[in-house]
Amino acid sequence: MADTVPIIETHALTRDFKATRAVDSLELSIWPGELFGLVGPDGAGKTTTLRLLAGLLDITSGGAELAGYDLARQAEKIKRKIGYMAQRFSLYSELSVVENLSFFAELYDVDPSVLQERTEQLLAFADLTEFRSRRAAHLSGGMQKKLALACTLIHRPQILLLDEPTTGVDPVSRREFWDILGNLHLEGTTIVVSTPYMDEADRCSRVGLMYEGRMIVCADPQSIRAQIQGELIELHTEDWQMASAFVETLPGVLEVQIYGESLHVFVDSADERLPAIEAAFRDQGLVLREARRATARMEEAFISLVTRLDTARRLEKET
Amino acid sequence: MLRRVWSLTVKEFIHLINDWWMPAFMLFGGASELLLVGWATSRPIANLPLMVLDQDRSSASRGVITALENTGTFALHTQAQSMEAIQDALDRGEITAAVIIPPDFDNELASGAGHPSLTVMLNGAESTPATAALRAVKGVVRDLGEKVAFQHLGLSPSEFAGFDVSLRVWFNEELSEAYYMTPAELGLMLEFTVLLFAALSFSRERELGTLEQLLVMPFSSMEIIIGKSIPVALVGLFDFVLMLGAIHFVFGVPVRGSLPLLLILASGYLLVELGKGMVISIVSRTQHQAFLLVMMIGMTDFMFTGYAAPVESMPRIIQIVANIVPAHHWLTILRGILLKGAGLDVLWPHVLALVALGLVIGVFSLRFVRRALD
Repeated sequence: MADTVPIIETHALTRDFKATRAVDSLELSIWPGELFGLVGPDGAGKTTTLRLLAGLLDITSGGAELAGYDLARQAEKIKRKIGYMAQRFSLYSELSVVENLSFFAELYDVDPSVLQERTEQLLAFADLTEFRSRRAAHLSGGMQKKLALACTLIHRPQILLLDEPTTGVDPVSRREFWDILGNLHLEGTTIVVSTPYMDEADRCSRVGLMYEGRMIVCADPQSIRAQIQGELIELHTEDWQMASAFVETLPGVLEVQIYGESLHVFVDSADERLPAIEAAFRDQGLVLREARRATARMEEAFISLVTRLDTARRLEKET
Repeated sequence: MLRRVWSLTVKEFIHLINDWWMPAFMLFGGASELLLVGWATSRPIANLPLMVLDQDRSSASRGVITALENTGTFALHTQAQSMEAIQDALDRGEITAAVIIPPDFDNELASGAGHPSLTVMLNGAESTPATAALRAVKGVVRDLGEKVAFQHLGLSPSEFAGFDVSLRVWFNEELSEAYYMTPAELGLMLEFTVLLFAALSFSRERELGTLEQLLVMPFSSMEIIIGKSIPVALVGLFDFVLMLGAIHFVFGVPVRGSLPLLLILASGYLLVELGKGMVISIVSRTQHQAFLLVMMIGMTDFMFTGYAAPVESMPRIIQIVANIVPAHHWLTILRGILLKGAGLDVLWPHVLALVALGLVIGVFSLRFVRRALD
């Protein structure tokens, strides 16, 4: 990154809820202009992290700086610099599209002289121009999300914090939403977005994987994919249950992940093991419809990492 | 700051307009409730169904029945043929009272040493009509007793007319229930309206998930509280004026004291309830919860207002507790100004108590809500 000063920086940021430590000594630096993806299993602390950064929760210990302001002491200043979109849709459903936009504009003291122009811009941007006077309640799920994004953009925030903005949205709307994020990224807005979708994580410039309140991995998608041990072979079989139990016993197999009917098998060397696996299946009398090499996606990397963490945690508890 | 508070207020009103049942309830729920209560209680109790078992069938016994009917309190339901018929009618709640005249009523009445007797049965399950019936029966019997005594003494009623009691009821000459009920109802409806409306303000946004959005905005908690309070206060005051108009013009409940004073005190009281409502609103996770809390608090306050039963006749401990219930002072003030024409010179202890309670509740709720929002 060209800039030397991170726009978001946390130091041992920690937040406790009654019995659980939701965010545990988080050390995170995000540079201006990044599109940072926050991934991790449910309950990993993604939402808590975003809510902490948005100033919605009190910090238990540690601290953070956003846009040069201290989160604990200058939260009001930070609020003007950020746009936050909560996981649950939270616009005023009785207000129309334009009413929602102008309400947000007034709250953020947007200069009335630029409001008109900016409203039109955002409506076009979010593809909502023709629905301008429709009530938010009567928009489709995808359009509501886009309106919510438009509202959080009305004051031109430097930092955008988005908590699972595309959960529950159809694939087409999801794509449109990410195209908008891509444009914002190009314009230089810093975006932190949490997502359960790994294809979305692939579109980020950097991804942080959270697990039990900690940041386990923080790197660009290529490096995360590169962390997977071995190479990937995809198998399509008749009986995946029997096949997966069988393939695990074969030499050189490191990990097996199940995706519906197909098995994703990580082996030490695909060139060497692919013919061996095919031969083994034949000997065993198991039908192999297809077997081919594949490139690992974010999804395999994520499951592989989380499975390893889960196993380590289980062993730790047992001893 | 003003612009943001203003836009928040406007937003609240837009919610109200778009969510039509809410303002409809806020504005007309109270007024129509008042009209109903006033209408139902505006007439004195009359025409209570009366059953008679006349075992004497003499002119004297018929005289008693006619006298009872003439009070206007009773309307003859039926002549019963047996005790069982009366029992049955009372059980079924068909009659409020039954009179049994024994076979020798006329003879006992006529003889000098006689003990004429009457049996009256009242349906005590409904205490208000029973009390009215009792009063009417006692009046009739007293008149009858007087007449018999005069006869035995050989006096004519024109010679001695008994006591001349000069009875005047102040503040409510006609002893109309409506005069008592409607102002009390008015006071309570104001409490409920403001309490409910305020209680929904935050709980609604929390339930819909918009509170979070509001909190990430560059608002101070004070701005949010003011922006949320203005619509509640305005609607509450408008509602009060509307309800006051309804009872004044429809039921003729007078406004004998100063109207400006009443409006100022109503606004003050409204702010006290607003504070309570905001606290309810902040502690409630859903609108449903807020609503139940309002019902609970409102119903408790209702006990201390002296609406259902006079506070003076309640146990001492309740009388003491009543002093810290704002609604108690508010109803005393409201009745005082409307019916008695009282001013600050008389009402000052209650006004002072209301101000003190208001300050305590106001400061507490402000700090509480601000803490919760920050």
